[in-house]
Amino acid sequence: MSALHYARPESLADAIAILEQYGPGARVLNGGTDLMVRFQKMQVTPEAIVDIKRVRDMSDAIVWDGDSVTIGARVVMTRLIRDERIRRRYPALVDAASTVGSIQIRNRATLAGNICNASPAADTVPPLLVHGATVQLVGSSGSRETPLDGFFLAPGKTARAPDELLVSITIPPHRSPYGAAFGRLTRRHGVDLASINMACAIDAERAVTFAFGAVGPTPITVKDTSGALADHTVSDAQRDAALQALIARTSPISDVRASAAYRSAMLLVIGRRVLAQAQQRRADFDARE
Amino acid sequence: MSNADAHSGITHSGIIGRPINRVGGPERVDGTYRYVGDIKIPNVLHTRLVHLDCGRARIHSVDTSAALQMPGVRAILSGKELPASVKRFGPANRDRPILAIDETTFHGEPVAIVAADTVWAAAQGAAAVVVDYQELPGIYTVEDALAPGAALVQDPALRPNSAYKETNILNEWKFGWGAVDSAEADLVVENDYTFPMMTQFAIEPFTYAVEPTSDGITVYSAIQHPNYLQRVIAEFLDMPLSRVRVIAPDPGGAFGGKQHAKFEPLLAYLALRIGRPLRLELTLEESFQAARRTSAQAHIRTGFQRNGTLVFQDVEINYLIGAYEDIAGRLVAKGSYAGGGGPYRIPNVRILARGVFSNTVPSTAMRGFGLPQMNWPVECQIDEAARELGIDPVELRMKNLPEYGEVFMPQDPPADGRWAETLRKGADAIGWGKPLPPGRGRGISMGLKLGPTTGASYAIVRLHGDGSATVLAGTSDMGQGARTVYTQIAAHELGLSPQRIMVVMGDTQGVPFDLQTSASRSAVFMGNAVLRACRDVARQVQELAAEHYKADAVIVEPGTVEVGGQRKTFDQVMTDRFSKVKGEVIGSGSARAEYDETHPLNGRPAFYEVTCTAVEIEVDKETGVMVFHKLVTVADVGRALNSQHVAMQDDGGAIQGLGHTVMEQYFMDDRGRVRNLGALDYRIPTTMDTPRELISLHVENGDGPGPYGAKGAAEGGILAVSPAVAAAVCAATGAMIRELPLTPQRIWEALHT
Repeated sequence: MSALHYARPESLADAIAILEQYGPGARVLNGGTDLMVRFQKMQVTPEAIVDIKRVRDMSDAIVWDGDSVTIGARVVMTRLIRDERIRRRYPALVDAASTVGSIQIRNRATLAGNICNASPAADTVPPLLVHGATVQLVGSSGSRETPLDGFFLAPGKTARAPDELLVSITIPPHRSPYGAAFGRLTRRHGVDLASINMACAIDAERAVTFAFGAVGPTPITVKDTSGALADHTVSDAQRDAALQALIARTSPISDVRASAAYRSAMLLVIGRRVLAQAQQRRADFDARE
Repeated sequence: MSNADAHSGITHSGIIGRPINRVGGPERVDGTYRYVGDIKIPNVLHTRLVHLDCGRARIHSVDTSAALQMPGVRAILSGKELPASVKRFGPANRDRPILAIDETTFHGEPVAIVAADTVWAAAQGAAAVVVDYQELPGIYTVEDALAPGAALVQDPALRPNSAYKETNILNEWKFGWGAVDSAEADLVVENDYTFPMMTQFAIEPFTYAVEPTSDGITVYSAIQHPNYLQRVIAEFLDMPLSRVRVIAPDPGGAFGGKQHAKFEPLLAYLALRIGRPLRLELTLEESFQAARRTSAQAHIRTGFQRNGTLVFQDVEINYLIGAYEDIAGRLVAKGSYAGGGGPYRIPNVRILARGVFSNTVPSTAMRGFGLPQMNWPVECQIDEAARELGIDPVELRMKNLPEYGEVFMPQDPPADGRWAETLRKGADAIGWGKPLPPGRGRGISMGLKLGPTTGASYAIVRLHGDGSATVLAGTSDMGQGARTVYTQIAAHELGLSPQRIMVVMGDTQGVPFDLQTSASRSAVFMGNAVLRACRDVARQVQELAAEHYKADAVIVEPGTVEVGGQRKTFDQVMTDRFSKVKGEVIGSGSARAEYDETHPLNGRPAFYEVTCTAVEIEVDKETGVMVFHKLVTVADVGRALNSQHVAMQDDGGAIQGLGHTVMEQYFMDDRGRVRNLGALDYRIPTTMDTPRELISLHVENGDGPGPYGAKGAAEGGILAVSPAVAAAVCAATGAMIRELPLTPQRIWEALHT
């Protein structure tokens, strides 16, 4: 066994050079709330740990450009949750970030880390997906931007190359009226991982997008093409049929958290509630304008 | 509260009963308390255990060569290398090897131990030990264990005198009275119930250290029974008790899981073998593999008259234990014996209880000691009868409760409390019978646990020359507040402020014998021993005062003596007497309950712990998610020596009971592996899961055998939670679920599939 290399680079270039040197043997330490737990349990055995907390050009800022927002890789959940403009514009994301771990964990855990950890049950991912977020990556061969939808390849695996760092997340502007909501099911009321989670967004054109978590190897994004979901006047049966058509795209499994049958059934139950809240928020948005 | 004390004739308007804060409480909160894991031992080596990822395996060989080459690794011992002379150990039958020798018998049984300079080096070394093994099919359920021709979990040679050695049955217990088969009932309720496999989950994981010394051995363990461990180690090492010192700092939670030896014999053996002190701190995951509560399956028939009178109780209950006996014999017997009837008058009772071996995590004691498993079916049956007969569940219970002083189990003491008062208080506090919003339901249940049947507690009280006092008591303060209560007893008896009293525990070298800290015994047994030691001191102070002042002396109130018409505090007497050549007064006291071979449990209980739990819940019928609006516990404690502590015991018991009622359970796969080791997927209640309103009430009639009329109070809160919640779920949804825990998924399945 070789000794573990711990690096705390101060520039992005240095960080990327170390990542390039160690390749898949390197692990990025940001908040550490996932990595350190697994490291101590020897579930990951990295050759190098690259601590990016001191990297100057990794931002811990939330930057608005008109109605578009870019969230730096160092932004922790607590900061995100407390940001007044984020709270106004993206309540679904705030609701999701507020369920990540406990207060202590949210003081350390970053939005970028929640994405890169690539848990199928990551709570902040479904709202980011329905908001059409993109991520910016910097690597040895330059920088690139890619939609979050498609970024997840498998549990724990993303399209981030071993020598790349996710430096920020951008949510594009949305024309009003717009409404989104987040929902999840857990085994207990206190701190818990989601048995299922989801977000729903209804945009100005009445297009409805859902993203589901913990019901497949990666979070998935599905768009309603029936038109039935944005419409208050459709019957419950029509609404459920449209939701079921979306849910049919998921592939829940049975594990210690829930059975596949329970997950499937809860997708519909929570789906209705999340849809209703998104509709309400959109209507409230309408009323404000 | 009455000031007149029926038991002793003294008054206790002062400190007894007062809700003084926990002795040792601030240190536990600010982090300065020294747990076993905080003790630094010079020259110590850190150890890690090596285990296999399967339920049962035959070990072919253990290759330690690569691991021994790793930096910092100093020694490795595998079961294969153990000399035949190394004994097995166990609190009842010595059936457990210190390391698995030829076969692992449960998921997590260690096959080797690695000692190294650091924890990390030990962990790296443990990961480098190569075990060549063949996975074997195992016995993981009651059905598997009792199937004809089932493989034997335990080698018959380990229990040569057992009539059951050729089966997977540890033992069968048959208890009862009356004639069940000829009893005539208008209604017979017959059902099956299960109780899950769960763990004690002390926040402090199991942690040990062993230090060989020039004159013996010192063992550090957060053990509930230091003297029991001392005996186990002495027998294991063939040393006299006097050479084995057990230092037992207060555990960070124990709940029964820390009653008996686990890895102390292994560490003692290896420490002596290599001549180095060793420490072992289990991970939380390993702690889950070190101890669990006994799971159970019950088949029960209960007969009632049309008017609700209980006619018979007919129970068959199988407790699934691990691969070693541990304390299961006692647990199954004591749990099923009293639970079969509960706190009710039942003329005909038949109980058949078995302990059943399996290749699962070692089962041991846990709060309630076999009773929650039994009380669950018994109380659910009463609710079902109430529904069938159209009788209110409170009234049905009321009808069958014995009066104070009434014999309700033929061989046991009569009812020692006014249990109808307990039930009525619970019903009133939950608002029984009042209208509820839709989606909500209420449930109520009672529970009875036998107090300790035998016991031996010894205490020494030293009244120092400055009038302060040290109490030596071998009880373990694992969170129940024993230090506080003994402080209060000594403060009262010696007329001192609590700040002048120090309670010393957890060191067998200086502290006298206590049999164990279990069975809600310590307030009664050790409490009486401390009380008697204080009165021994008082008697000596009285004599000393007479001698010193050369006048007649008489104790006029606790801590005050009248000499020659003058009142003097003990403090003054001590200062006067010991001003020149110093000295102190040493008092001793004991409390014992002896073995009684004529009783089915070899002893009559010192008291009954009787409780009532009532809940109001709300169920989201679409998801099965439950919200607890209110939970009430009522405990008949005789006398609350510290009302705050009693309430905390009941609150804690109720919340812990909510754990196995709504979320806690081991998930095992078909290879006998526990799939949810650790805190991530083994859920216990958080503060967010506790009832919005949690109320603990007491019944105090001064009718217990402990100091000032106290009874034990540590376990009642957990006994009746499950049946009360199940009844409430049934009231709210119409679904009666007989399998714990009542998870959202299980409730949803009951309502939708």
